[in-house]
Amino acid sequence: MTSGEAVRVHPGAADVVELRAGGWPVVAAQECRDLWLGGRAPMLLFAYSLLLSAMTYLAATNQVLNFLERREALNLVLQVAVAVGSLLTLVVAADGVSGERERGTLESLLLTPVSRRGLLVGKLLGALSVWGACYVVLVPYLLVLGRGLSMTGTAIGLGLSVGTLLALGLATLGLLISSLCNTNRVSLAGSLFLLLALFVPSQLPMGPNPGWFFDVVLVRANPVASSLHYLSQVLVQGHTWTQDIGYLVGPAVVAAVAIGVLLTIADRLMGLQAGVEGR
Amino acid sequence: MSDLALEVSGLSKQFREHTAVEDLTFVARRGDVLGLLGPNGAGKTTTIRLLTTVLSPTSGTFEVDGVPASRPDRIRRRVGVLAESAGYPRSHTGEEYLRYHARLFGLTRADADASARRLLGEVGLADRASSRIASYSRGMRQRLGIARALVNDPAVVFLDEPTLGLDPAGQRQMLAMVADIAHRRQATVVFSSHALAEVEEVCSSLLILERGRTIASGTVDEVIRAVSLPPSARLQVSSSDVAEALRALRREGSEDGMSGVIATVLSPAQGSIRLSTRMPPDGPRAAQLLLTQALETLVVAQIPVLSFEIEGTRLSDAFLAMTGDTP
Repeated sequence: MTSGEAVRVHPGAADVVELRAGGWPVVAAQECRDLWLGGRAPMLLFAYSLLLSAMTYLAATNQVLNFLERREALNLVLQVAVAVGSLLTLVVAADGVSGERERGTLESLLLTPVSRRGLLVGKLLGALSVWGACYVVLVPYLLVLGRGLSMTGTAIGLGLSVGTLLALGLATLGLLISSLCNTNRVSLAGSLFLLLALFVPSQLPMGPNPGWFFDVVLVRANPVASSLHYLSQVLVQGHTWTQDIGYLVGPAVVAAVAIGVLLTIADRLMGLQAGVEGR
Repeated sequence: MSDLALEVSGLSKQFREHTAVEDLTFVARRGDVLGLLGPNGAGKTTTIRLLTTVLSPTSGTFEVDGVPASRPDRIRRRVGVLAESAGYPRSHTGEEYLRYHARLFGLTRADADASARRLLGEVGLADRASSRIASYSRGMRQRLGIARALVNDPAVVFLDEPTLGLDPAGQRQMLAMVADIAHRRQATVVFSSHALAEVEEVCSSLLILERGRTIASGTVDEVIRAVSLPPSARLQVSSSDVAEALRALRREGSEDGMSGVIATVLSPAQGSIRLSTRMPPDGPRAAQLLLTQALETLVVAQIPVLSFEIEGTRLSDAFLAMTGDTP
């Protein structure tokens, strides 16, 4: 070290650095910087844009050929956008804690005065920035596809509300899984399996009188299936946004419970073990 | 304000059936460099993680700079840590990394910038401030880790194996930094290492752990004296001089050699001879004197001595004796 420089004398000096707002905004800002300037999120967003372009082109073409009603086309693109946007958010969240653990950077975060809850909230917000960008990209596609349709504004509003609710729930689940895993590979595999298990029921045909098992277990209790079903009820069936609001209870409960669990057991989730084992 | 920077009393940590740390009690004063020693799995890293509030103790209490264990967020403001297996975000530059950590400690953007630049200068990384950490050598990363540990101007700095994997020049640099932290910043340093010569060089006091329990503590001299090993010496002469050296040594005294000194050839080909003593009643100093006289005997007999080293009086000898191995 160079000598002769003024060095603060520590006793009490640390007291002046009280953290405002628990430190999570600093963590969230750094997460966003890492995601967006590090190149990972722009790559994901580029792939997302390509998919939306292809979907919009195919939907518009089918519309011209009269195979698909315009509102069905709008619904299709919105559903794909919400599902894929949530998937990307989940994938990013799944790296949150296991990635830090794998890179050996978790301990240095735990050694700061930011609470473990604050660290998790910052990471969650960072992951949600991916959904925010996906939504911003989605809006022009919806405007082009729904040109002249009265329900375009509704679709844009539903995309924001339902998509954000679903992304929030899935991102929190992804972060929970990530906190329980030591490696990114395991965390990502677990998160993708979860998404697949939730997504498959949404692709099953639902008749006019679905049974209790199908309606309650496969759709209402499944945040992905119920969100997508709700979108189609409003956009395709022409229901009002309040008529089938019950389908949003599932995603809301999942998001609320996941966030509750994440914040309640944050200390345990962000734990390290004895020196030799690492975690 | 108390002179004690660290007060630990009856600290224990249990992981299911495994006891990692048991009933640890010690103190460290401001400006002390406390060496934390022990074989692998002795509980050094767990102790550091407990005292830095990364882990919660099963029982026992401690205070860091007067802050009780019940205020972990306040303790974290007063400690700086270089963890043994510290990783670094490869895509960050050194300056970004330090700035981020300074912000996590509540510094404003401007203060964090200034702090990052100052610390990079202090650890000799000013010219690499804008380079990605991925391009840093092991030694540079360790220096960056030291800078990160100092970002909050800590009262107690924990360094877990800071010289591990460094080349000799890097090790020297690291030891100079440790001394600097203790002397210039008046911070207490808890220095965990396997390199006993380093510990002997920089530490003012020691705590030796084995299987989570304290087996020795005190100054380096106190720990060595506590073991009270009979001193011995290892000397090397040319292989052709071995026989003559033995004759000269044995001429000096009783039938088994000089009075109280036994000469044993370890390797005739390498000319390696071990001189051992029984501990004389007047202590290790007298035994060391006897061994030095043996060296004088060889010089008088005009036998060139290639190397001569007294053993049993170093920290490594005491450490090995205490942890179950013989030197």
